[in-house]
Amino acid sequence: MAAKKKAARKAKRKTKARKTARLWLMFPPKLITQPVVWELSQKFPVITNVRQASVTDEIGLVCLELDGLADDVKKAITWLGRKGVSVEPVEINVIES
Amino acid sequence: MSKSAGFMRALKCRECGREYPLEATHVCEFDFGPLEVAYDYGKIKKSMTKAALAKRPQTMWRFRELLPVAGEPTVGTRVGYTPLVKADRLAKWLGVREAWVKNDAVNYPTLSFKDRVVSVALSRAKELGFETVACASTGNLANSVAANAASAGLDAFVFIPADLEEGKILNSLVYGARVVGIRGHYDEVNRLCAEIAGKYGWAFVNVNMRPYYAEGSKSMAYEIAEQLNWKLPQHTVVPMASGSLLTKIHKGYQELIQLGLAKDSKPTVHGAQATGCSPISAAYKQGMDFFKPVKPDTIAKSLAIGTPADGFYALKVMKETGGASDDVNDDEIREAMSALAECEGIFTETAGGVTVGTAKKLVASGKIPAEDSVVLCVTGNGLKTLDAVQGHVGKPAGIKPSLREFEELMEKDGKVKSK
Ligand SMILES: Cc1ncc(COP(=O)(O)O)c(C=O)c1O
Ligand SMILES: [Zn+2]
Repeated sequence: MAAKKKAARKAKRKTKARKTARLWLMFPPKLITQPVVWELSQKFPVITNVRQASVTDEIGLVCLELDGLADDVKKAITWLGRKGVSVEPVEINVIES
Repeated sequence: MSKSAGFMRALKCRECGREYPLEATHVCEFDFGPLEVAYDYGKIKKSMTKAALAKRPQTMWRFRELLPVAGEPTVGTRVGYTPLVKADRLAKWLGVREAWVKNDAVNYPTLSFKDRVVSVALSRAKELGFETVACASTGNLANSVAANAASAGLDAFVFIPADLEEGKILNSLVYGARVVGIRGHYDEVNRLCAEIAGKYGWAFVNVNMRPYYAEGSKSMAYEIAEQLNWKLPQHTVVPMASGSLLTKIHKGYQELIQLGLAKDSKPTVHGAQATGCSPISAAYKQGMDFFKPVKPDTIAKSLAIGTPADGFYALKVMKETGGASDDVNDDEIREAMSALAECEGIFTETAGGVTVGTAKKLVASGKIPAEDSVVLCVTGNGLKTLDAVQGHVGKPAGIKPSLREFEELMEKDGKVKSK
C-alpha cells in the first residue's frame, strides 16, 4: 500500500536523520565547577567534541560540537538551556539589527 | 566563480592562522574560530596610490583593492562616501576642541552603514555564483539586503522574529523580499537561522558570507582618513552591537598606515554602547577580556546584541589603541539625539545617540582630552526610530488663523517686545 510505504519512509527518515550542531556554551559562575558536558553525554546518546574552551571564575566558555540523531541533539540542547547554560550557534548572533 | 582573486590572498583563521580558499565559509574547521580575509598588500600598494584614487568616483568602491571582491563590484556600486561634517556647535556641547561627524545616516540606498557591508557581501556572492541571498535581521540589515538584492536582481530571504513591529517589516517587504517571521524565543530563532544558513545553498550575508561582509565596514575608516586629508583622527567613537564595526575601523586605519597612505599618528578607537545592552563596555570597565552575555533592554534596538560575536576583539582593539568604552541610558540617548539635531541639523537613529552621548561622557571623564579632536561615527537615520523620540521633542504651538494670536505667541516666546 502506498500509504503504508509512505509512513515507513517517514519513520525511517525520522530515525536516520543525523545532525551536527556547532555551539558556544556559556556557563554562569555557579555551573563552572560542574561536569555538565560529561552529564550530557551520559544522558543523551550524542558525541561531544570540545573544540575550544576558556574558563575563569567569572565565566566558562566552551565551543562544543554535538553529533547524533537530530532528535537527540535537539533534546540535549534543550537540556543544556534548562540547566542554565546559554547555548548559541557557533555564529553567535545570526540575527542582527 | 571568477578564477582570479583580485587582491585577496586567502581566508585566514583569527585564532590559529590556518588559511582557507576564498569561498563562502566562515569558521575554521579546526577550532571554529572566525575567518577573516587576508590580502596581498604588496600588490595593493602598487595599485592604490593617491594619484590613482584622485581619479576615481566618490563611492566606497574607490578603495576597491582593500575590499574583498575579485573583479569590479556589481551590487551597491553607489554606496558610501557620506559627508564628514565639521561639527563646531556640537564640539561645544561635547566640551571638546574639535569634532567631526561621519554621517552614514545619509548612506545610499537605505540610510545606514549596513549598505557598506551588504554591497560587499552581495557583490562577492554574485562572483561566487549565488542567486539567492538571505539574512536574519530586525532592522537595518534586512532593509539593506532587501533593497540591494532587488537592484541586483537577486532573490532575497529575510528572517525575523514573528513579533517584530510592522513598520520595520514594511521596509523590507516593499522591495519584494520573502520575509519569514519565526515564532519562538530569540535563542531558538537564532539557532534555526544558523541551521537554515548551513542547509541551503544561499549566500547568508552575516553567516557564510561574514568574512567578506564584515570587511565592508573598513570603507568608513578609509573615507574618514581621506576626508581629513590623509590624517588619521586622534579619536574615533564607534557604536558597538557585535563589535565588528569597531574592529574593522581599526583595521582600516592600520591598513592605510601599512600602505604608506597615512602616517602612524596612533589613532585611538573608543566603543559606545547603550546601558541597557552593554556587555562590552561593562567588560571594559571591569578590566575583563571576556564579556558576560546580557538580555537587552534599550531603545537602541539596532545595538541590542547580548552576546557580541566580536566583543573579545573589540576589547582588544580598545586596549591596544588606548581607547575606552562607556555607555548611556535611554534618556541620555534621546538627549544626545536632540543635541546632534539641534547643533548640526543631523537626525540620527538611537545608535547615533549612543555614539554622541558616549562621546560626551568620554570627554567629561578625560578619556578624550578636551584639547583633542574627535570623529563620531553616526551610523543610522532618525526616521527609522521615530517611536524612540515620540513625546520627547515637544509639541507644535496651535493658534487660530489670527495675527493677534500669532503675535501673542511671539511675545510669549520672547521673540518680540510688547509695545
Ligand atoms: C545603525 C547601526 N549602528 C551600529 C551598528 C553596530 O554594528 P556592529 O555589529 O558591527 O558592532 C549597527 C548594527 O547592527 C547598526 O544597525
Ligand atoms: Zn583556527
